[in-house]
Amino acid sequence: MLRIEGLSAGYSAKPVLNDVSIRVDAGQFVAIVGPNGAGKTTLFKTISGILQPNGGRIMFGDADLLAVPPAQRPHLGIAHVPEGRQVFPSLTVMENLEMGALTESGRRDWKQNIERIFEWLPVLAERRAQFAGTLSGGQQQMLAIGRGLASSPKLLMLDEPSMGLAPSTADFIFDRLIDIRRQSGLTMLLVEQRVAEALESADHGYVLEAGRVVLEGSNEALRADDRVRKAYLGM
Amino acid sequence: MEAFLQALAAGLLIGAVYGLMCVGLGLIFGVMRVINFAHGDFMMLGMYTAFYLFTAAGIQALFGNAVGPFVAILLAGPMLAIFGYFVHLTLISHVSGTRTASLEGEGHYAQLILTLGIALILQNGGLLIFGSVLASIRTPLSSSAWELALSQDISVFLNKARGIDAIVSLVIMTLLSLLITRSRIGKSLRAAADNPTAATYMGIDVDRAHRVAFALGSGITAIAGGLLATNYPFHPFVGLEYVIVMYAGVVLGGMGSIIGAFWGGMTIGLVQQMSTLILPTQLQNAAIFVVFLLIIFFRPQGFFGRMVERT
Repeated sequence: MLRIEGLSAGYSAKPVLNDVSIRVDAGQFVAIVGPNGAGKTTLFKTISGILQPNGGRIMFGDADLLAVPPAQRPHLGIAHVPEGRQVFPSLTVMENLEMGALTESGRRDWKQNIERIFEWLPVLAERRAQFAGTLSGGQQQMLAIGRGLASSPKLLMLDEPSMGLAPSTADFIFDRLIDIRRQSGLTMLLVEQRVAEALESADHGYVLEAGRVVLEGSNEALRADDRVRKAYLGM
Repeated sequence: MEAFLQALAAGLLIGAVYGLMCVGLGLIFGVMRVINFAHGDFMMLGMYTAFYLFTAAGIQALFGNAVGPFVAILLAGPMLAIFGYFVHLTLISHVSGTRTASLEGEGHYAQLILTLGIALILQNGGLLIFGSVLASIRTPLSSSAWELALSQDISVFLNKARGIDAIVSLVIMTLLSLLITRSRIGKSLRAAADNPTAATYMGIDVDRAHRVAFALGSGITAIAGGLLATNYPFHPFVGLEYVIVMYAGVVLGGMGSIIGAFWGGMTIGLVQQMSTLILPTQLQNAAIFVVFLLIIFFRPQGFFGRMVERT
């Protein structure tokens, strides 16, 4: 569904991503893990078009994504749940969800989507009339995920959903993601620093270090890998 | 007592029009974060557009002297909105919105110089085309009044033209706030104002949202200008007199709050009229800024300033 080939990107002269190739098949849950500054967020920004790459290709289905203007990419079926949540603070929870549903598919499926989102993340239903800026960090993260789901995406991209959250809240969010995946069969691409949880949730993984893919494999293979165990899982 | 009520009434009427004028600017600032120094001159263009529509384009002959001016004023709004749309498309968009991420200071320096330049071109171009003679949109309503008898010996006079100006302002303001709070376009505008990057992730074309806000803001201020022109004579440099008031209103209402700008403008209208009770008229504008400073001293974020941090 998503094929990234030989992607290089960065800010002005400083390259961040170097010849990165990643593949996400329909129905897969792929995690990209790695330390701070490995280029995970840069990768997502390039997929969403906020950042122009220096080289490489990104294919989404049959479409050459780099030829599509950034604001058109969500309409193709890509939902980006950004790093640091980035909800719209002066809009209510409900209005934030409506913003997620601006795509054609989102408008069409609005009724059933909102029902399912409220079922998965009931706190959003409780606080639907509240301004998003007044929510707690964990609630904002759930809103950002709900907002992403509201577009009826083909691919849900999650950028560090655990960032800045208490461990128990982060665990809760990972559990929700696994549930959502199981019940909807949605294709997901997750970027995480919490390697253990990420590899546990996903079925395929990439390890990104200093802008390069250093390791790739199924979650069992990665969790059994010596380097991963030593560097990230503390074993 | 009668003088006080009279000043209060006059303040409310003019305040509604000032409020509308400020909302036009507040919309542009709130959504785009661009300081548009040419906004007063857009209003000047709105005044002249309404003036020529009324006198030269046959609206006076068609609708008469009472209804005609308001038809012309309401038509000038969409015309200036189209003008604003193209000014944004050809000029402003190059120094604002998504293109500015790579510019120094997010393009604010370039915006300053560009909008000042547009202001100068409009002022001097206006002088060239419209001439320096004072113009005004004359209607017999400007010189007649409704008498509001509150009790046997107290009655307040409401200038008819200003009364209709205020009603038109309130109607447009109501429609605008419905648009901003209820419609999909309005919500997208607010989302783009809150967080342009996240708005792009939602599939909102942020530059297009800015263009809509700029056009809408230009049209609204043009209508407010036309309404003012039924009572105040104007000239090509009239924008300078109002743009300061507009900014004061936007800051009072709370930077970024679109509806707040209306109340900021309303406050300024009230202060301006009430100050005549105790101060000579020449000090009207001084009084506005003394009150402005006092309010900002105690409430720096303005009436409706956002307490939530902008991400």
